[in-house]
Amino acid sequence: MDYGLKPLGRERLWLWLMLVPTISGLVFGTIGSLFATLGLSLFDWDLINPPTWVGTENYVALFQNENYIEAFVNTLKFSALYVPGVVVISLLLAVLLNRKIRGVGIFRTIYFLPTVTSAVATALVWNMIYGKETGILNFMLETLGFAPICWLCTDNAMMSVVIVNIWGAIGEGMIIFLAGLTAIPRDYYEAASLDGADSFQQFFRVTLPLVTPSIFFQTLISAINAFQAYDYIYMLTRRGQGDSSVPVAVYSIYRNAFHFFRMGDASAQAIQLAVLVGVFMAIMFWWERHYVVYE
Amino acid sequence: MKKLMFIFVIASLVLAACGSKPADAGPVEITFTMWGAPEELAVWQAVVDDFHAANPNITVKVDVSDWDSYWTKLNTLIAGGTPPDVFAMDAPLFLDWQSRGALLNLQPYIDANPGFLDGFYPQTLTAYKTVDGYYGLPRDFQTIVLFYNKDMFDAAGIAYPTGDWTYDDLLAAAKQLTLDKDNDGKIDQYGFWTDTWDMELLWSEAIWSYGGDIISSDHTKTLIGEGGARDAWAFIDSLYKEGVMPTPTASGEFGFDLFQSNMAAMTTIGHWAVPGYVQAGIKFDVAPMPKGPAGQATSVNSAGFVIAKDSKNADAAFEFIKFALGEAGQTKLAQLGFAIPVLKSVAESDAYLKQPGDLNQQVFLDSTVFAHTKPVFKGYEEWAGVVGDGLIPVFDGEAELNTTLDEVITAADEVLAANK
Repeated sequence: MDYGLKPLGRERLWLWLMLVPTISGLVFGTIGSLFATLGLSLFDWDLINPPTWVGTENYVALFQNENYIEAFVNTLKFSALYVPGVVVISLLLAVLLNRKIRGVGIFRTIYFLPTVTSAVATALVWNMIYGKETGILNFMLETLGFAPICWLCTDNAMMSVVIVNIWGAIGEGMIIFLAGLTAIPRDYYEAASLDGADSFQQFFRVTLPLVTPSIFFQTLISAINAFQAYDYIYMLTRRGQGDSSVPVAVYSIYRNAFHFFRMGDASAQAIQLAVLVGVFMAIMFWWERHYVVYE
Repeated sequence: MKKLMFIFVIASLVLAACGSKPADAGPVEITFTMWGAPEELAVWQAVVDDFHAANPNITVKVDVSDWDSYWTKLNTLIAGGTPPDVFAMDAPLFLDWQSRGALLNLQPYIDANPGFLDGFYPQTLTAYKTVDGYYGLPRDFQTIVLFYNKDMFDAAGIAYPTGDWTYDDLLAAAKQLTLDKDNDGKIDQYGFWTDTWDMELLWSEAIWSYGGDIISSDHTKTLIGEGGARDAWAFIDSLYKEGVMPTPTASGEFGFDLFQSNMAAMTTIGHWAVPGYVQAGIKFDVAPMPKGPAGQATSVNSAGFVIAKDSKNADAAFEFIKFALGEAGQTKLAQLGFAIPVLKSVAESDAYLKQPGDLNQQVFLDSTVFAHTKPVFKGYEEWAGVVGDGLIPVFDGEAELNTTLDEVITAADEVLAANK
């Protein structure tokens, strides 16, 4: 892996000097707050009085905290629906848009739009779509003769929120997969069709194995986003007193820290979430070693 | 979001360490932080200017944020060791802050100013009183009354609400005022609308009027399922079941306040809503809350002033509070029209009674006779979330009232136990 020029002599000094702002931001901002959270999770702190040492008590308490368990289970359910949804739909979209069709640029732009639009603004629009009395979705249902559905009531809120989150993420996934698809040499398809493979066989035997690096990458990114999902959920499911009909882990962390003044509990929850993400990543990298095909 | 907050906390800790400067005699500057609308800033600035004219040595810096960012900012400033000298407090949250030792005991100042609290409405003071004295003082307050849209009542040919109405009268009128004007199967005008996630607008009043209570006096037991309280909940549930008001999850589709968006004929709310209604051009007036089987009740809640325990200019801070709570300050604040002055003499003067909008302001004052103070206890915010938000599935029509109420009460009592 010897590419480009190597820094020599005084250049090396300049290189490090130029990197100082970025690295110090990383050290104090990201890594610093990670260690601060780890430390705080071993204390009780109400933001005003000095923190008191409680050891692993906050972690033990997590397992008895029904609200947190509910939020944690919601995060898992959300991820289980969201990650496959994003990966499958954005892959299919990319395959459809990876052809010479009229106006393909317009389609790609439309699917990418949610990625570059403010989540708060689009959540407001989704609120109107999902509205029980005046929503567009229920208007269509009623026109077709079905009973209206309360999309954002407790029973359906999880599904409704997953749909919005998938909708918001497929644009980015589509770009990743398009890049992966364009890298597959055309000769493979020519060879396959000479051997008599139809387009389904071509997709499963040629395309799918060769985009596994993109699938791996997109699954990883989607999972990390799923565990941290917050903005659409907050905007669509927040109730009057700050609770939510789909409380997820990040929601619980935020409320415990800044509304209930329990920094220690919030930090322990954040660490547990980080550990979960870590375990998931380890599984993914194991999967990568065994199933991902690099040319 | 969380990460951002954390960086804020760390940054302010660092800034706090660099920023401590020695106290000097002579002119002092104090900071006053509050939540509120932008138009409130202008009136507060006028109060501050008057104060500065009377006390040239003290400069007050006012900072106004919206409700949500106000509390985040306050947390960050206090955690960073740079609290504002004076800040606004919502009475129900008072104990959550006082019990953490964030607030200064004002009792020595009150003792040094004999007669200072004599002219206050007594119900507004109880919220801030602890065993060792006052840690805050109310600056203005709210009573909840029944607002009605005169045009809608006139069009339906129904007599305006009176002080003798019962909750059953309210429901009967609301049914008559719920209309599908163009016969498309969709309601165009609801008879009634209010928020039921917070106790202040309807459910605490209904529970008291039906003979129930909210919480035991030692703050260990949630009482909203006992005695007459169940009947009050059944009444509120019937408002939804009869369709005279939209379900909580659907009501947001008609604007954040259906009375203001001309979609509802009646609402129960406090004085803070008046400027918005006047501006929206709605023809309305007010009547006292309806009566229940156990009599009439409303809720009193106040916004107040507190001083940070670590304030370096506590004396100057109290001078400012004293001025804002005096005749001159209260008269100016009365003109805001968002609340009722805590000073009886100002509330009963033209400054309050002759406000734009031509409504019966006296109703807000007379309601204090049968008013209960909105409960103040530790863990209020978490408790209010468990109870208020926990019942939304019932009102959305997804859960049964009594079993949900039982679950909610168990969870609410756990919150009280954890916040002992």
